[in-house]
Amino acid sequence: MALKEKTVPIVHLIYRKGDLIMKEGDYGISIYKITKGRVRVFNEQGKTEVPIATLGPGEIFGEMVFLNKATETRSASVRALEDVELEVWHPARLTKEYEAMTPIMRYITNQTLNRLVRMNRMYAQLLKKKEESGYDTAGSMGLARRQYYRKTVNLACTYRPSHAPDKVKLQGRLTDISVGGAALDVSTRNTNNIRHNPGDTFNVVTELPSGRSLHLSGKVCSVNRNKAPGRLLIGLQFFDLDGETRKALGFFMMA
Amino acid sequence: MAIDSVVYGYMVDEQDYPDKKVIIEENSIGDWVFIVLEGQVKMKKRTKKGVVTLGTLSEGSIFGEMPLFQKRDKARATSVEADGPVKVGILDTARLDREIEALSPQLRGLIRTLSRRFTEIVDNISKLAGE
Repeated sequence: MALKEKTVPIVHLIYRKGDLIMKEGDYGISIYKITKGRVRVFNEQGKTEVPIATLGPGEIFGEMVFLNKATETRSASVRALEDVELEVWHPARLTKEYEAMTPIMRYITNQTLNRLVRMNRMYAQLLKKKEESGYDTAGSMGLARRQYYRKTVNLACTYRPSHAPDKVKLQGRLTDISVGGAALDVSTRNTNNIRHNPGDTFNVVTELPSGRSLHLSGKVCSVNRNKAPGRLLIGLQFFDLDGETRKALGFFMMA
Repeated sequence: MAIDSVVYGYMVDEQDYPDKKVIIEENSIGDWVFIVLEGQVKMKKRTKKGVVTLGTLSEGSIFGEMPLFQKRDKARATSVEADGPVKVGILDTARLDREIEALSPQLRGLIRTLSRRFTEIVDNISKLAGE
C-alpha cells in the first residue's frame, strides 16, 4: 500500500476554453490544481449557471469531496474560461498528510470549508431571489405592459426606427422602464420627419447609471402627441431581449 | 458546538465584549485569530444598500483566521460583532503560522484556496445585495 501511494503519479491535463472540467452531481475524487488559465466554478439551477468563483493559476478545486467525508458527489461544476492546464492529484497523496495535520489545523480547515459552503449557498439563493423578482417570464406581450413594475428614470438614449435608413440616429429620453417595455420621450423637432406610429419597431441604445450599455428592441404600442406641446410620448414593448440584457435590466429595476 | 479541548492549548488571552460591540472591523488590518468561548457573534458585510448579516457563529467557532492563509496585511473581509455579551479567546498566531508552514505545499495550497474563495464569494454577495 505504502509503495502504491508513493507511485501515484501527478497527471497533467489540458482543457480548451469552454470545456466542462467537472460536473455537479458526478462522482469524482481527483483534486485539481490550476497551472495555467482560469476556470469558473458554478452551480446549476435548471439551465442557469450560477457562478460561485473564478479561480486562476495556483488555485485548487475539487477539494470538497476530499475534505468533506459526507460528500460523495461534486458540489459544483467547473468550466474552462480560457485554455487551461491542470495538475491532477490523486487524493491518496493528500490523505496521509491531512491525517497528520495537528488537530487544530483540521479544526480550522473544517470550519473554513463549512463557512465557504454556507456562503456559496447564500449567494445562490440571493441570486435566485433577485432574478425572480427582477422579471417574470409568464404572460403574453399584450398583458406584460401592465404586469411589470415600471421604474421612473431619466436616461438619454439614441434610437433608430427600423424603417429608417441605417445611419439614422435619433435622440430621445427614456422616462420610465420595466423589463417589459419603456416610455420614450422625444422632441418633435428631433424626429427628422421619420414616421413614428404604433406598430413601428425601434432599436434603442441607452446606458444604465452603472455604465452598462443596453441594446433594446421594442415595438411601438402607443404614441401620445397631446401630453406636452412639441413632444411625443411613445410607449414601447420590448421583444427579443437576450438573457444578459434581461438580467441587467432586472438588476437595474431592483436598485 | 462544544469547544474542542485542543483549542485551549493555543489560547493566549480572553476578552469580553458587550452586545453589538465590534470585535473585527471590516477593511481594518489585523491578524488576531479568535474563538467564540461563550455566546455568539455575527458576521457582517457592507454593501451599497446597507449592511448584510452573513451568518451567526456560535461557541467553538473560529473567526479572523484569514490572515493565516492569505496576505498578512490584507484588509478584513467582514466585520464581526457581538450578538449579546460574548467571551472570546485569542489564539497564538505565531504557533499557528509555524504549523501552517510545516504543511506540505499541496495541503497548504488547498486551505489557502478555501480561504480565498470565501473572500471572493463574500465580495460577490456584497455586490449582489447592493445592486
